[in-house]
This record gives sequence, C-alpha cells and structure tokens, in this order.
Amino acid sequence: MKKARNDQFFSNLEKFVNKVYPNQPQRKPYLNLKSWPSPRDEAWKFSRLGNLARKNILPLNFENQQDFNINKLIKDSISLVFVNGKFEKKLSDKLLSEIVIEEVQIEDFKEIINKFDNLSVKNHPTLNSTLSCSEKFFKIKFKNDIKFYKPIEIFNLGGTENTSIHPFIFIDLDKNTNVQVFQHYSTYAGLLAPFEIINLSENSNLEIIKIYDDKINSHNLSLTLSVIKEEANLRSFALIKGGEFTRSEMHTLLEGENSNADINGIYLSSGNQHHDLTSCVYHNVPNCKSSQIVKGVLGEESTAVFQGKVRVEKLAQKTEAKQMSRAIMLSDKAVSNSKPELEIYADDVICGHGATVGELDEDQIFYLSSRGISKQKAKVILIDAFLNEMISLSISDKFHDIIYNKTKTKINKLLTNEYE
Amino acid sequence: MPILEIKNAELSIDNKKILKGLSLNVNEGETHAIMGPNGSGKSTLSYMLAGRDGYELDNGSINFENIDLTPLSPDERSNLGLFLAFQYPVELPGVSSTNFLREIFNSRKKYLGENELSHLDFIKLLRKVAENLSIKDEMLKRYVNFGFSGGEKKRFEILQMALLDPKISVLDETDSGLDVDALKIVSEGVNNLKDKKNAVVVITHYQRLLDYIKPDIVHIMSDGKIIKSGDADLALYVEKNGYSEILNEKS
Repeated sequence: MKKARNDQFFSNLEKFVNKVYPNQPQRKPYLNLKSWPSPRDEAWKFSRLGNLARKNILPLNFENQQDFNINKLIKDSISLVFVNGKFEKKLSDKLLSEIVIEEVQIEDFKEIINKFDNLSVKNHPTLNSTLSCSEKFFKIKFKNDIKFYKPIEIFNLGGTENTSIHPFIFIDLDKNTNVQVFQHYSTYAGLLAPFEIINLSENSNLEIIKIYDDKINSHNLSLTLSVIKEEANLRSFALIKGGEFTRSEMHTLLEGENSNADINGIYLSSGNQHHDLTSCVYHNVPNCKSSQIVKGVLGEESTAVFQGKVRVEKLAQKTEAKQMSRAIMLSDKAVSNSKPELEIYADDVICGHGATVGELDEDQIFYLSSRGISKQKAKVILIDAFLNEMISLSISDKFHDIIYNKTKTKINKLLTNEYE
Repeated sequence: MPILEIKNAELSIDNKKILKGLSLNVNEGETHAIMGPNGSGKSTLSYMLAGRDGYELDNGSINFENIDLTPLSPDERSNLGLFLAFQYPVELPGVSSTNFLREIFNSRKKYLGENELSHLDFIKLLRKVAENLSIKDEMLKRYVNFGFSGGEKKRFEILQMALLDPKISVLDETDSGLDVDALKIVSEGVNNLKDKKNAVVVITHYQRLLDYIKPDIVHIMSDGKIIKSGDADLALYVEKNGYSEILNEKS
C-alpha cells in the first residue's frame, strides 16, 4: 500500500531553520509553504509531487567527509564543486582573478526575485526552501576586464536518499562578457532544490548547459530566474536524463531591447522516470527574440512534460517568439504532455508554436532496413538524427560531440528496453 | 541460373487479397519488365519482395538463389543482394546523405566479408559513382532525400544501387516524375550496372522507360497475377493498344 502523503518535509524544514539559523529573520518569510503544490495547481498539473510528499526528507546539515572524482567534460574548464549544496573550495579549481565567487545575502538579490513576484514563482517550493535553509548564497561574478573566459563547470554532488540539498548560485555577468557554463546535477539526494539566478548585463552572452543526471531515487526541482538586459543573449540548453523526477524550470525576463533568449532542451526518459521542462519567457520590451524548443524520447513507462509559456507585454512590439515540442514514443505505455501557452498583448509580433508526438516513422525504418541496416540500428540512426538536429541548433559547435555522447548510453538503454 | 523464383504468391492486406497466385522466375543476366494497370498489385509485389512488415505471404514461396526469403527481414534480404528502388524514396531529415551512403556501403561490405573502406577512400569512390549519375557534391551534403527534387531522388536511388552492387534490383516506377533528360541519366546508370551475373526487374506503367532499359522478358500483371508474358514487343503492343485487349482476352 502506498504511504499517505504527509508533506512532512515542510515541518522538518521549519524546525531545521529555527534551530540552525535562530538569528536570521530574513529567512523566515520563505517558510510560508506548508505543503507541496497539488495537482490542482495549474503549474504542477502534469508533474505530480505525491511521491515526494510521501518521502520523509530532512535538509542536510553535515560537513562533507566524502571524496569525489570530478569528471570534467572539457579539459581546460574551471570546475566549481558543490557537495551537499555547499561550495567545496578544496575540490574546485583555482579561480582566475576576473571571476569572483563571493558570499552574498538575500538582500543582495532580493530585487531580482521581486521582479518575478507576480509571475507564479512566489510560492515555488525550490525558491522558498532554498532561500530559507541554504547555508550560504554564492554569487559568481564575471567582470568585464576580459571578454572571453574558460568554460566553467559547476558540479552538484552528494546527498543521500532521505536528505534534501539546496545549492544557491547567482551568476552575474558584467557588460560585454562572454561566458559558458556547464551545470552538472549528479546527486544522490532525495530532493535536490537548486535555485539559480542569472543576471545578464548589457551586451553580455551566456551559454548555459545543464545536465540533469541524478541518481534514480532523486527528485530534482531546479528553478532558474534570469534577467536579460539590452543586447544580451542567453542560450540555455537542458539535457535531462536522470532521477526519478526531474523538473527544469526556467523563468526568463527580457527587459532590455534587442536581447535574446533560447531556452531549449532534450529529455530522454526510461523506466518510471518523470521529466519536465517548464519555461516561461516574458517579453517586456520591444525587439527581442526567444525560442523554447524541446525534444524528447520516451521509453517504457516514463512520462514527460513540456510547459512553455510566452508572455508578450503590450509594449513589446516586434517580438519574435518560437515554441516547439516534439516527442518520440518508443513504448505505448509512455506518456508525453505538452502545454504551450501564448499570452500576447502586443499587436505587431511573430509568435509560433507547435507540438508533435509520435512513434518512429515506419516508412523511414523500412527504407533504412531495405538498405541492409538492421531495425535496431535504423532506430538508433533516426533517434540520433532527431537529437543531433536539436543539439546543433541549441549549443556551440565545439560542445556538440560532448553533449551528443552524453545522450548515447541513455539511447542504447532506451532501445534495449523497448516494448514491442 | 535462377536468382529469384516466386511461386503462386498470395498476399492480402487488411483481409483484401492483392496478390492472387503470382509466379515469376528471373535468371542471371536477365532484365524483366512488369507492366500493368493501376491497382494490379505491382507495388505490393515490390514491398513483398523487400520484406516490408504487413506484406507477408499467405501462400506460395519466394526463393532467392535457393534461399527461402519469407522468414528474412528487409536488411537480411538486402544483404543477400536484393535491392528495391522506391517509387517514393523516403526523406530522412537529420541523416546526412554521405554518412548514410557510407553506412550502407560498409554494412554490405561487412556482410560480404570484404574490407570496409576508410572515410577518405569511400569519399573518392562516392565522387566517382556520383559523377556518373550527375549527382553534385552539394546534394550529398544534404540530408537523405530531404528537399530533393523528383529527379534527384530517383538518381539517389540508383546511386545506392551502384554502391550496394545487388544481384537483383527491383525498380518500382523509377520513371515516374522524371523528365526525358533525367530518365536518360537514370537508365544509363542502370544499364551500366547490368552484367551477366545480375538481374533487373523494372516495374512500370509505361513503355517509355523500356526504350532506355531494354527488357528481355515483359510480363503483364493484372488483378494480382501475371496474365501474359512475352518479349519486348509485348510492351510495344501494350503501348499501342492499351491493356484492355489483353485483359479481355483473358476474361
């Protein structure tokens, strides 16, 4: 029998915060949640948290004793390692003087969060739990002394099945900077609640690639709030393949003219996994572009969700916004949900959206087989083609093969366990 | 020596009988033409030969060099040396033409126990074969059949045929959608590949392709079987008099 949903996490959290941070009243406002969002909450309709609510999870509060192998994807990148949500200087690479990693307080980024207050993130469990209980709030600042940085790789590690971890990172780009960041989520945590804030100053460029590969019992409720200034460019790509439940939620505010946001992603779902890409882009000023393009492959009894929202304010004329979701089903027991939303108040805009769900094309498989390629190999070729198109579109050429290789093992697993 | 022997093939799709006892023997070195009106089962025959899902025989047999084809999958049939040029080649967006051709070429080589070619050697070979079919480099850089014109698609089929070097090629309405120039290029391509050891079966509606690919034997197909066979003159007769006379003669 299923255990009753008890939402015990929130009382655990409150006790924890009162005990560990008795003299930090600024954390108190974020203890207002008493339960996980219910399926009646529109934003969580397709991503139900019942299993999470049944877990008895405590925020993690011990120092890391473990040793970790840090497997960097890029040889000359700079690694920043967070274990159990805390920055581990010992495990991280030495920083260049142009990159400052500093501890900040909630007041230092409150203004940015306030911009999203009316945009349904106010009662987000990640925002609330992480701001109330994260030990330290880190800001990584990229100063504009130099224009090109080595790629940064941020590793989120650690956790145990009955604990939650709460990394907070504020990525702040000065004017004219050009930065590439990889975010690895590879924890054992029952709940990983990473809260990230991104601030892109005028004419800065951030390419951020998030690789969600937590262990199979993990819930990952990742939340990212981004603010984009004039001529700045956010290129975000999420590859979701791990965890029991992974939601990558991004809210992106275009508040400077001629700025651009690409919030793309791929999910590869097997077993009983649930994967969710939720993205809201808010066009507040004219002449900006955005895209939300998501592709997924689902096998076995997995489920996935794409929720994409574009809101174009009355002022934001000449907006170009594109939304697209495509899913390939390898099993008739898998379920894919797609919820595109356009909320447009301006009249001179180009907005398009579309969604397709289907099996691999029988004609294509037959065509390849008739040329001597086995059915299994034909499927690999077709899925590769499907994903390669997406990867090429979304990330820099030099990272293409790295990300493509990250999809490889999962695709083989999906095809091996395929239900006929 | 016979390459292909079809005996009394019966096949239904959605409980509707399409092939009703079709027999056909093709020997080494021969070129056959199968002609017939729409709905006579010509395309069904080609899918049945290639082994498409849903095109399994109800009765009868197909042997390829004395091997029973019926339990074999499309890729196994292709590896044995059976090639089907599609009436409507399938687009594969995201699959680069060059990689695709190299993949099918090397998998055939592997099956034959011959050495696979390195990327560079393959490209050299591909350039040569492509040039003979007036296929430009630019086309090979595109995705397979994706955005190809009708003529380009058909030339790309023959390019695959040339690389796979099959023992028997079934060309399903390869002339449809081709202008005279493209028809010449495609036919020359086929004729250049023809030798004493292999065979070609041309499935066509019209005699016009047979001006370029000369058949040894012409079969008239109607209502799921072959009702008349003869030499090349039979095709000319059909061209002049239409199918109706032969059909009436039978009924």
